[in-house]
Amino acid sequence: MRHEIRFRLNGEAVSAQVAPHENLVEVLQENFGLYGARESCGQGLCGCCTVLVNGRAVSGCLYLASLIEGAEVLTVENGSEPDAVQQAFVEAGAFQCGFCTPGFVLMTRQLLDEHPDPDEDAIKHYLSGNLCRCAAYPEIIEAVKLAAQKRRRS
Amino acid sequence: MKRALSPAETPQVGRSLPRLESWLKVTGRAEYVHNLRLPGMLYGRIFRSSVAHGRIKRLDVSAAQAVGGVHRVVSAADLKEIVPDPYYGPAFHDQPVLAVDKVRYVGEPVAVVLAADPHVAEEAAHLIVAEYDELPAVYDEVEAMSSKAIVHDALKPAGTFPDLKHLKGRTNTNVALDFHLRRGDAAQALAAAERVFEHRFRTQQVMHTPLEPLVSVAESTDSSLTIHTASQSPSFVRSEIARLLGWPENRIRVRVPFLGGGFGAKLYIKLEALVAVLSLLSRRAVKISLTMEEQFFTITKHASSFRIKSGATRDGRISARECEVWWNGGAYADIGPRVTQKSGFTAAGPYDIEHVAIDSYALYTNLPPAGALRGFGIPQLVWAYECHTDMMARELGIDPIEFRRRNLLREGRPQATGTLMRDAAIEKVLERLEALMEWKKPFDRGKGALRRGRGVAIGFKACVSPTTSLAAVNVNGDGSCIVYCSTVDMGQGSDTAMAQFAGEVLNLPAESVRVVHSDTDVTPYDMATLGSRSLFHMGNAVKLAAEDALKKLNQLKSELQIPPDAAIPEIFKKKYGMQAGNVIGTGSYVPSYKSPDANGLTDNATPFWMVGGSGVEVEVDTETGRVRVARLVNVADVGTPINPKIVETQLSGAAIMQLGFTLFEKMLFDDHGQLRNASLAEYKIPGFLDLPEEIVNEAVSAEQRSGPFGAKGAGETGTFGVSPAIANAIHDAVGVRLTSLTLNPEAVFMKLQEKK
Amino acid sequence: MPFELAEPRSLREAIASLDARDSSVRPISGGTALMLMMKAGVLRPSRLVSLGRLGLAGIQTGPGGELRVGATTSLRAIEKSEVVRKGWPVIARTLRTLSNVRVRNVATVGGHLAHADPHMDLPPVLSALGARVTVAGPAGERSVPVEEISTGYLETSLRLNELITLLEVPPLGARSAAYLKCTTRSADDWPAVGVAVSLDFQGDSIREASVVIGAATDKPTRLAAVERILLGRKIDENLLDEAATRELSIEGDLHGSAAYKKQLIRVYLRRAIREARAQSR
Repeated sequence: MRHEIRFRLNGEAVSAQVAPHENLVEVLQENFGLYGARESCGQGLCGCCTVLVNGRAVSGCLYLASLIEGAEVLTVENGSEPDAVQQAFVEAGAFQCGFCTPGFVLMTRQLLDEHPDPDEDAIKHYLSGNLCRCAAYPEIIEAVKLAAQKRRRS
Repeated sequence: MKRALSPAETPQVGRSLPRLESWLKVTGRAEYVHNLRLPGMLYGRIFRSSVAHGRIKRLDVSAAQAVGGVHRVVSAADLKEIVPDPYYGPAFHDQPVLAVDKVRYVGEPVAVVLAADPHVAEEAAHLIVAEYDELPAVYDEVEAMSSKAIVHDALKPAGTFPDLKHLKGRTNTNVALDFHLRRGDAAQALAAAERVFEHRFRTQQVMHTPLEPLVSVAESTDSSLTIHTASQSPSFVRSEIARLLGWPENRIRVRVPFLGGGFGAKLYIKLEALVAVLSLLSRRAVKISLTMEEQFFTITKHASSFRIKSGATRDGRISARECEVWWNGGAYADIGPRVTQKSGFTAAGPYDIEHVAIDSYALYTNLPPAGALRGFGIPQLVWAYECHTDMMARELGIDPIEFRRRNLLREGRPQATGTLMRDAAIEKVLERLEALMEWKKPFDRGKGALRRGRGVAIGFKACVSPTTSLAAVNVNGDGSCIVYCSTVDMGQGSDTAMAQFAGEVLNLPAESVRVVHSDTDVTPYDMATLGSRSLFHMGNAVKLAAEDALKKLNQLKSELQIPPDAAIPEIFKKKYGMQAGNVIGTGSYVPSYKSPDANGLTDNATPFWMVGGSGVEVEVDTETGRVRVARLVNVADVGTPINPKIVETQLSGAAIMQLGFTLFEKMLFDDHGQLRNASLAEYKIPGFLDLPEEIVNEAVSAEQRSGPFGAKGAGETGTFGVSPAIANAIHDAVGVRLTSLTLNPEAVFMKLQEKK
Repeated sequence: MPFELAEPRSLREAIASLDARDSSVRPISGGTALMLMMKAGVLRPSRLVSLGRLGLAGIQTGPGGELRVGATTSLRAIEKSEVVRKGWPVIARTLRTLSNVRVRNVATVGGHLAHADPHMDLPPVLSALGARVTVAGPAGERSVPVEEISTGYLETSLRLNELITLLEVPPLGARSAAYLKCTTRSADDWPAVGVAVSLDFQGDSIREASVVIGAATDKPTRLAAVERILLGRKIDENLLDEAATRELSIEGDLHGSAAYKKQLIRVYLRRAIREARAQSR
């Protein structure tokens, strides 16, 4: 029942044999050894499995891998140099255990692409679908503001 | 590399440096067991009990076994060839690796399907059929005291930990442990008191919900076993697996990388015994990753009931306090007995009370097991005694902070056990709370449907004792340094703190120090990463190890006649003729301790005290009962903060977690012990939109003199005061008193209706 | 567990791939709800028919000023659409707190309406606004009011081989609309109740009233008695309170008891009317 899908992954043309029921996180982990997107709640509520598909953040655990045929897929592993968002997360100490962090990094990039200078209300609403059980939320808000500053400066 | 060799320019303790592993975490490259795949690995999928209490009449795995791709289906009968007596647990050997003859809660593991494809294992597990002869079940902890439904036919104490040596085997009871403390004569003092107050409180069962669900992998040969596991207690896993298998410990290796959160969920043994046996049976590597749903059937936090009665003078001096606490431990004791005892003895609160009587009971029920969750029972106790204390103050017409101040347990005074308070900044915490809450300033009480109020609460905690930590510090030929310790970094920043300790002693930047993760083949013994003990115990051990290394280096310098200010590589070059060799310092730390006597009294109950308080401002919507926490102030005595930034994140993180436990987190069971909300869709945890508008955190200026560089644990302290502070604030706002968690809108609204 | 995934390129092909008698053949658009059902084991499809290549997405205004949204348009695209923000601000506001950004990026409006989970936010809002959908099947198209899609918990009036292709929302005109929901656990919880109102104020009186609640009942429910009270005279809040829950059969659930939900409906109804009135000024 497996069939081949072709897509671009972190800028590279790739293909994978997938079963129809497999989700995007499984394919990233099993076929490509990318573990930055990880399934936690399994219901699209926590954001640990965040992946960008054609420039939009999706919950990888609720996304059929077959549907990424022809798509542009980006994960937290994309890029060789850490960006302003990752730097800001480090400087602000915006995580503890780090399990949810890749999802927050990707969502923050999307937020800042849409709103280069978000206020606290915009940050909270945009990131409200990402959970951090260590509750580094105040630090994450700080990191988003810091990242926005860094981006504006560069 | 250059940086590793240049000496530190500033002190390493007290530095808010980013966590050592920061870049790994923000790039998604940090190592978790979740990520681990091994060649030929099988996935295990657990089939679970659908009844709360029953004898297994029939277990039919044939349909599952027949599914293409299924390697094997394993039930208790298959385990016996590997483990003759398959029961484990830190306090009692009561929990079977897979249910034997009987199931004791809905969700208990009964069988496991092994398959190379996890989807196949899952599908096959659905095809297993079990039939049970149902037995009467008990769910409520107070009912369990006298219920005819008995969860365990006989109790089997483990005898592993020194503080739990006194547990006795019993039959025909659900009481796993009862702890009693008698100081003075509480009954007589209550009879003589001018005013007497008595209240009952309840807390609900909740779950840790680490975002990395429990996961373990085992690989084996005939003579060795390696377990990769998301565990807070690798040393315990090794000794317990060794005991189960009858193997020496050196044939078992337990490795732990980073944890995606722990909070007490990943302690003692969870999946490790199961994957170990499955690997030995199948001769393959075996991985079990729980789903978020399955975590609810694995470990939880005790629901509890608390009856508290105090006597006081009319002018507000508490003379006596009687506490009766019932802990709902679920079907297996896990570490409940320690919760019952270690937390039990602080049940009267941080107050100087002459006559105290405490009775604390660990009970078995037919619910998912309860263990430690960020505070080891303390948040349940503070909830009760700080609501009670507030109610007393208000009934006596005394300002709640003033009332607390009059009764505070001050430095040098004996706590209920008789242990003197040392380095416990209770007064300072209350003082700073009062200042940060601007308690004496006029307060906006709201208008219309929205009413505002404020409240405070303080709590304290002893640290589990006696426990042991060992560490080694290795200085390489180039002067770089590696710390070996079995403390598990689950987000609390222990790697960074240990590097700061070693760096401080050896005058190296903490960033240059490498901390090796738990690997029982490599890193020395540690009791476990729990109860805010690591910074203190392992911190002391690492400090001693680094000092030992430094001493050896200095000895070498004098032996080799090298000037004292020479760089470390010079020593090795001179000794070995090239950059070679290393110096290993070792350190071990175990504090002194005295077991409580028959009256629960001891003059040495804890190596240190944790003190925390919270203040909140709330807004109550009187038409709906919804409570909004507008401002949350957390004040704590953490000794000297080693990494102030991480300490602050720990304090506020703990307080926000407790906010969830206060307002909406609750496991809901039906009449048959079936959990109704085992998912994050129906068990809600705090997100961004639940945050108070303002959060203030402060570590008071304090020093733990016996701690490494003045430090003590900080991971749990932020939880202590949050729940009662909110209940006290709700009362302040609208004059109704909630005595049962959660403080959900409907409960508040119903109270408001009653008041009308 | 394994199933076939069809990716038709035309609507006709898509409809032909569905099966009027086989509920294990399902259309999939964003798939966020379907994936959850599949993971929970309540849906075991034999074939999924992806609507992603049908070219149905898009947002326009029609000749009568109505909003026309293709069924596979993502909720996020609707939320961000200038056309929607200007002409139907209540829809954009509602979407802001509907699930989360990732779900809104993927979930489509057609799937949202066809899923018929009573806790969803848009069905009461669109019902209150008088929206309709176009439904295509083997025999052609028919037009169905959004209010008539859901017939019960996860049940709809759509046949197994029919697809929603288009959503049409009439212009607001002089009406002002509001949607308020109440969660009783965390802020991102499913609502305990949701109240949508669309009101045409004329001075202190109301010329046209449409009130639909969600979440508290097994499908979005119009409060006809409330609408009658609101029409044409000054609002008597006591009468309103009484009418708000008179005709409703409400069952308690994890979000609150039936009695408490009734209280929430009364309170949120008053607040939604107040908000709509504030907007009309």
